Amino acid sequence: MSTNAIADTSFLIDWAKYSKRDLLFKIFDTVWLPEAVLNELKSENTVTWVVENLSRGRMALFPELTYYREEALRLMELSSKYPVRRLDYPEAYCIAVASDRGYIVLSENGAAYTAQFLYARAKVWRALEVLLELAIRNLISKEEVYKYEEETLHSFPRKDLERIGL
Amino acid sequence: MEKNNIVEELKKREEEAREIRRKQADWNYINNQPTKLKLALIHYIETGDLYVSAKIAGITVEEFNEQRIKARIPHVN
Repeated sequence: MSTNAIADTSFLIDWAKYSKRDLLFKIFDTVWLPEAVLNELKSENTVTWVVENLSRGRMALFPELTYYREEALRLMELSSKYPVRRLDYPEAYCIAVASDRGYIVLSENGAAYTAQFLYARAKVWRALEVLLELAIRNLISKEEVYKYEEETLHSFPRKDLERIGL
Repeated sequence: MEKNNIVEELKKREEEAREIRRKQADWNYINNQPTKLKLALIHYIETGDLYVSAKIAGITVEEFNEQRIKARIPHVN
């Protein structure tokens, strides 16, 4: 499993609200952030957490590169061929990078989650998959998922929770 | 699983999430917002798309997410 991930805004703004947010770095050595993500963050809580981890070297900025921009646009076009939500550029860019470099995409975007089952090579993890991985490593219990939902006001589909025995 | 079955399951997931957002949203709050923000919140309810909704409202993704929380629209994914 890759120890590199690339995260989009939708993941960061929820995950930053979680009291055990630094456990993310027990799984990933480096969490890359596309440069544009910084423009989408606003709250002191999220910005502080991101800047602290950029300073510590646990997060790093991923530059906007022409090759991946083109690939992201290709993925967006490809996504429109399916009768499910199409990809937006930020998630498409993360998937383009992750597919090429073997990273894991961290996103709460429904279209990004869908893409991995239909046309994208990269694995896309929501907070749920991150929490599950932490539980597998005995760093939290599976029930921590409920605490995450409460602290971040994020709801996971009940069917997904049933699948993991909750 | 066959691709057609995967598509059907994903469509079902999207529809279920849309229904939850519609039901739990505070429509009184939404209808009392300025036009662009109101339309952006409705777009979010229908699509779950944070990025485009933020662009419609003319604010950052995180600012839009705070508006989503105020409007009691759950983020279901």
